[in-house]
Formats: sequence, C-alpha cells, structure tokens
Amino acid sequence: MTDAVVTSKQFFERARAGTLTAIRCGKCGELALPPKEFCAACQQRAWQPVTLAGDGTIASYTVIRVAPRHHTGEVPYAIAVVRLREGVSLIGRVVDVPLETLAIGLPVRFRPLVTDDQTSVGFGPA
Amino acid sequence: MRRVAVVGVGVTKFGKHDRSSAELFAEAARDALADAELSPASVQALYYGNVVGGETEKQLHTGPQAASVLGIPTVPTTRFETACASSHAAFRHAVMEIAAGVSDVVLVGGGERVLNVPTAESTEYFAYASDATWEQPLGLTFPGVFALVARAHMAKYGTTEEQMAAVAVKNHRHGALNPKAQFQKEITLEQVLKSAYVADPLKLYDCCPFTDGGAAVVLASEEVARRRPRAVWVLGSAAASDTMLMHEKKDLARVPTTERAAAAAYRQAGIGPADVDVVELHDCFTIAEIVATEGLGLFEPGTGGIAAEKGWTSLGGKLPVNTSGGLKAKGHPIGATGAAQIAEITTQLRGEAGPRQVEGAHIGLAHTLGGNLATVLVSLFSRD
Repeated sequence: MTDAVVTSKQFFERARAGTLTAIRCGKCGELALPPKEFCAACQQRAWQPVTLAGDGTIASYTVIRVAPRHHTGEVPYAIAVVRLREGVSLIGRVVDVPLETLAIGLPVRFRPLVTDDQTSVGFGPA
Repeated sequence: MRRVAVVGVGVTKFGKHDRSSAELFAEAARDALADAELSPASVQALYYGNVVGGETEKQLHTGPQAASVLGIPTVPTTRFETACASSHAAFRHAVMEIAAGVSDVVLVGGGERVLNVPTAESTEYFAYASDATWEQPLGLTFPGVFALVARAHMAKYGTTEEQMAAVAVKNHRHGALNPKAQFQKEITLEQVLKSAYVADPLKLYDCCPFTDGGAAVVLASEEVARRRPRAVWVLGSAAASDTMLMHEKKDLARVPTTERAAAAAYRQAGIGPADVDVVELHDCFTIAEIVATEGLGLFEPGTGGIAAEKGWTSLGGKLPVNTSGGLKAKGHPIGATGAAQIAEITTQLRGEAGPRQVEGAHIGLAHTLGGNLATVLVSLFSRD
C-alpha cells in the first residue's frame, strides 16, 4: 500500500491555511470527505486529492445551549451540516451569522477556526 | 440453527443510585435468574453491555467485574460497547451462541452509572460516541446529533415541535404506569413546549434523562426453555451499521440503519411490520421515536409525528409504542437500555404488564440505536 492520499492531519493543516481538501475516486468519481482507504461506492482505491471551493448551503443545523465540559463558556453556538458546491458535505461551527437567521438552504462559506493548538471547521456568511 | 427463548428478565428501579453499575446489573441478574427458576450455576456465558464505565467509574474490563459481583466469576464474559445499543448487541451475540449449539443458558444484560458526575461531564462522555476528529472538537452533543435529524425531518416532512412534544407526553403517561420508571408523572404538551432549548429544536422535555440502572435477560435453548415457565421466543435478531459521521449521511431525515436492521429481522422471523402488536423503541429524543417508527415500517416516512399526535402509538391506540415509558420517562442507563427494552417486551408477551398491558399482545419488537445513528439492533419476539 502506498501512503494515504490525504491524512486527517494534512486536511487540518491545509484547512488552517484556508483550503478544504476532499478526495475523488478515479474509478467512479465519488467524492469523499474525510479521506478513507477504500471508496465506499465502488471499493476501489484510486483517490486523487481535490481542492474544494469552500462555498455551500446549510443542510441542517442546531444551536447548542447545553454544552459538554470545555465548551460550556461558548454557548449558545451553532453547528451545521453544510452541503458544499461540489456535492460532498461537511460539519462545522457557524460563526458571524445571527442565530435567528439560521435556516436550511442558507448560503455559507468555509473559514478555519484557529486556536493555538487546534484547527476546526467553521462556516461564515457567503 | 436452534430456537432461542427468553426465560427470565430483571430490571432495577431506574434513576439515581449510590451503587456501582456492576452492582446494579447484579441486582437485575439475580431477579432474572429467579424469574427463570434457574440457578447461577446454570449460566454458561455472560454477554454484558456497559458504555462509560471507563469515564464515570474509572472501571474497564467491566464484564468480568459484573460477573464477579454477581457471584459467577468463572463464567466466560465479554463486554459489548455499541454506544446506547450495547446490551442489545450483547443480546444478539448471545442468541447466536445458543442458536449455534455452543451453550444452553446465557445471561445478557448491562449496567450504567452516570448520575455520579455533573451534567457537563456526562454530556462530554456521551459525546465520545461522536467522531473525535471531526465532530467532538466542534462541541457537538448527543442532543445536537438528533437536533440535526429533527431540523431535516421538519424541513422535509413538515413535522412540528408539537408533534415531537406529543411523543414526550405519551411516554410520560406510560411511564406513570411503570413502577421501575425514573419519571412516574404525567406532563402536559404546554410543559414540553415551554421547556428550555437544549439543542434547537429539541427542548429539555424532548430529551431522555441521564440514568443509573441495570437490566438482565436469561436466554435458553429450546430444550431448556420447554421446561421453564412463560418462555418468550426470539423470532429474529439483526444488526446494522452506517458511517459515524453526521455529514456523510445521505439523508438526515431518515435512519437507514433502522431500515436495514428491521428488514433483516422481519426476514428472519418471516413476518412484517403489520404483524407487530407492541413495540419498545429507542426514544432517546422525541424525534428519535418518530424516525424509528418510520424506519421500522410501522408508519410511512414523514408520518411518525402524526402517529404520535393522533394517539396511534398510545396504550389503547392501534400500535402501542414504549409502554414502559420508553427511554424518555423510564430512563436511559445506556449500557442497560437494550436489555431493559427486551425485558418490557417479554413482560408484555407474557401478559404480565399490569395497568400498561397491551391486550392480546402476541408479537413484540425491540429497537435500540447507538450513537450518531451508526448502530441499530432490532429483535422480534413471540409468546409461542
């Protein structure tokens, strides 16, 4: 086996720099995010990395008001599953969007949420 | 394959306890063995469900620990962890061990203790059933997972917060009839609708509580079961899995794991959804009951909320669901939940459910879901 096309670590390093990276199956065209060894659609292993545009629409969302330990100081905060332009989805925090304006179908754009030691996926206004 | 029967059941009172999960399981197992009129020495294996013992009790290797506390330390024991479906997964594997002719009597059960830690801490531990790289760092909670399902279901089918609230009201009404339930009081639609949001659109009263408790089921081969009183037969038991990640689900308004596990269990049993008389299903949140009734084929996709609102799933309705009070009112000691659901179905099919008895119940279904909709177990039972 060769090395993974994109590891989770590489995904978040690229995300920290502002770029979302998915993988596309060279056999059937399936897009996947996060990376995996075998294509769930055709069981082949012919991945190519694909840079995504970063824009999409909210497929579903929630506002968390009772948080786990380590996030209790952040409530209320929004989490959404975003359907990206290329057809693959990704989950992230929604930031800089008034909570009362959140809606399914709302256009949003990827932005990295960066702290000293961690990068996570965020989406802001399109 | 040999036929398998449930010959004994036991459940502790659900709620807050000052005993370990192993002690809670052991109490339930003691009652289940007495119910089966079998001695501890007859048990040939223990299949055990426990989820957050490593976190709340600093306890791993909980299978042998549970067997030791029960007093059968030399019995081969395995702990199952499929999040909230753990003891139902344990049940399925125990059924296979007996069906395959390896053992004649197997004890199945689970125990969980979570009310010994603060809510923010237990919320964190339950969130460990979400993906640690992609979901937990966002602060996604277990209610948050089902809130994503609820929003999608509302958008696709027009399901309302009132319909979800009707599930809570109904399950509390049932729970009031169950002396083992954590909540034995009725609530009103208005109380549910006015309760605070936990993860929009889910409110406090849409959510099951944190619960300590234990449950146990004794399984036996046909040869043993024929000599026991009140055996209930296992007609089928199936599992299904799916991607953990919420964003990889093709349609957040449906639960394909429930659909696939149900199809396999119905096929094993040679029956269909129309044959089922009583159901215990995984209502960790009100929306979870709605999507489960649809995925099990009991109601058409998009009509699960209507079924609750119209009273079709109430005691006295066309298909009573969660006569025990469900996870919502009976409580949800996660590692014990599947075994407790099977205990309720067994009690119903024996005709021993007292004020919550479904008259003439002949075929029962138990459905248990584990974390992020990624694991579902469905089993079917008959009284003869």
